Amino acid sequence: MLSISNLTKAYNGVTALSVPELQLLPGIHYFQGGNGSGKTTFFRTVAGLLPFSGTVLLENQYEINRDPVAYQMRVNYAEAEPVYPTFLTAQDLTSFVGKAKQSPARQVDTLAELLGVDTFWTKPTGQFSSGMLKKLSLLLALLGTPRLVLLDEPLSTLDIATAARLFDYIGKLRTEQAVSFLLTSHQDVCLTGLDITGTWQVSQGIITPVL
Amino acid sequence: MMVLLTLLNRIFVGPFYARNAGTFLVIVLLAFGFLSANEHRALIMAALGSPFFLAIVFVLWGLYLLKTVSFVWQELHAPEHLFLQTFWLVPTPKRVILWLTVQSALLFPVLLYGGWMLEIATQQGRWDSFWAILIFLLLLISAGALMADFRLRHPNPDTLQLPPISLKLPYELFFPIYWLRHEPLSLVLTKAFSGLLLAGVCRLYPTDDYDQRLLLIGLLIAILGHAQVGGQVSAFERKYLLFLPNLPLSWGQRLGRYALTYGLLWLPELLILLRNCPEAIQSDYVVWLWLTGWGWLLLMHSLAYGYAVLPERWLSGIIAAFVIGLLLIMFGLPVSIWLVLGWLGAVAVWYWSFGKRNGTELNVPH
Repeated sequence: MLSISNLTKAYNGVTALSVPELQLLPGIHYFQGGNGSGKTTFFRTVAGLLPFSGTVLLENQYEINRDPVAYQMRVNYAEAEPVYPTFLTAQDLTSFVGKAKQSPARQVDTLAELLGVDTFWTKPTGQFSSGMLKKLSLLLALLGTPRLVLLDEPLSTLDIATAARLFDYIGKLRTEQAVSFLLTSHQDVCLTGLDITGTWQVSQGIITPVL
Repeated sequence: MMVLLTLLNRIFVGPFYARNAGTFLVIVLLAFGFLSANEHRALIMAALGSPFFLAIVFVLWGLYLLKTVSFVWQELHAPEHLFLQTFWLVPTPKRVILWLTVQSALLFPVLLYGGWMLEIATQQGRWDSFWAILIFLLLLISAGALMADFRLRHPNPDTLQLPPISLKLPYELFFPIYWLRHEPLSLVLTKAFSGLLLAGVCRLYPTDDYDQRLLLIGLLIAILGHAQVGGQVSAFERKYLLFLPNLPLSWGQRLGRYALTYGLLWLPELLILLRNCPEAIQSDYVVWLWLTGWGWLLLMHSLAYGYAVLPERWLSGIIAAFVIGLLLIMFGLPVSIWLVLGWLGAVAVWYWSFGKRNGTELNVPH
């Protein structure tokens, strides 16, 4: 599903992430590691948010640098600590991202209801709690028809009921549409009830499989 | 004490000058490019002898104080500086001294010029003006320090309360509204400078034997007055719209959206140019002039966006652009060439930066 080779990401000349070779099969992959281990850098790099050297190939077809538009149409990302302009509403952001990601009809409404974002749809994000921001970032990450969704700390600040609905929905996307997911979490990932395909340890910018 | 002062300088003083490098450049170019030291002395002498003229100087200094205070308040409110709330726990006398020092550093250009005025006032024996200037400078420092401390003691203020907008905001309005709501003084100063300058050159045109080069020079300076905007857009999106590079938009679609944003920001200048268009100039010429300015704004955006450009390098670039631009205008380069150069340059630089290599390098600085 995702092939990575010779990936190096450095900040000011200091290597933060080095992935010589990594093949991820379709499914749900869990990336674990301590604070500052490189998980978020890895996710942001795969999401196309950071420049890097190397290649990232989705479904043996879409290379992140060669076909950025096609790649980004199929790869979505929810950040760990989302921040949005305080005067914008969930409606504004969803409309913009949904249009860019070519969100199918009714998808926005379904997801807004699922995550409970519909209850604060026209409220400026400056009045959101961290949990509300998280719900909005998850909604944005599920828009369109992604083949791979990267969820950085999806459990943090999310209430239990919404988390249950979210993981149920993720499970459905996996089984019905074969969407793959990469997750990070400092909480027990078993709480998600998801069938984990692979677990990976990230430590000092190196990714190794957990056997 | 020194540790705290170093920290405050790194948070407030350095970034203030870095962020306003473009504005300072324009002021320096206007104040010292067109006027010699002798002419400044003559102006200072006039101000020392006229309470009205001196009051105008005080108003300008007051506006500068507002700009520094606005910056300090904005930084105190920024989520990454929430830790500064602990600064409240520093004993009041010590905290006030620190604020006074920071505010003096922020007001440095005013203090420098004020110092020069004081020196001349002493030489000329204008003691009434001397004391007025001295007291006003001390008031500026104290007021700045008090306002900064007030915000520290009263955190989380309501931002500028505009009526809630029920319409869906299109992306092209994200930055203009952010600018209006969160950095209103920067917006007002930038647009006031640009608008007044263009209106000024239009009004000046019929007073002497000027040609269209005067309007082009006005346009050049008005555009350079917007030099910081590209960096502001970049900083805004890097901070609040982290997901942008993940959107499946081609380099052309991205540039097109920015073109619309800059078109909106630059729209007031079109109205000003049309309203003040000199009789000897055809109105279509000022439309071409405006389109040229739009293209050059977009070119500056393409150059600034996504790169962590060092302020001094950006400043050098702006100075070089001003000198070269002025020379080319004086040698008679027509507006049509400027128009083509601006728009083609914007597209070429953007394509080179974000289209040719790949689509992933937006929001690069980290």
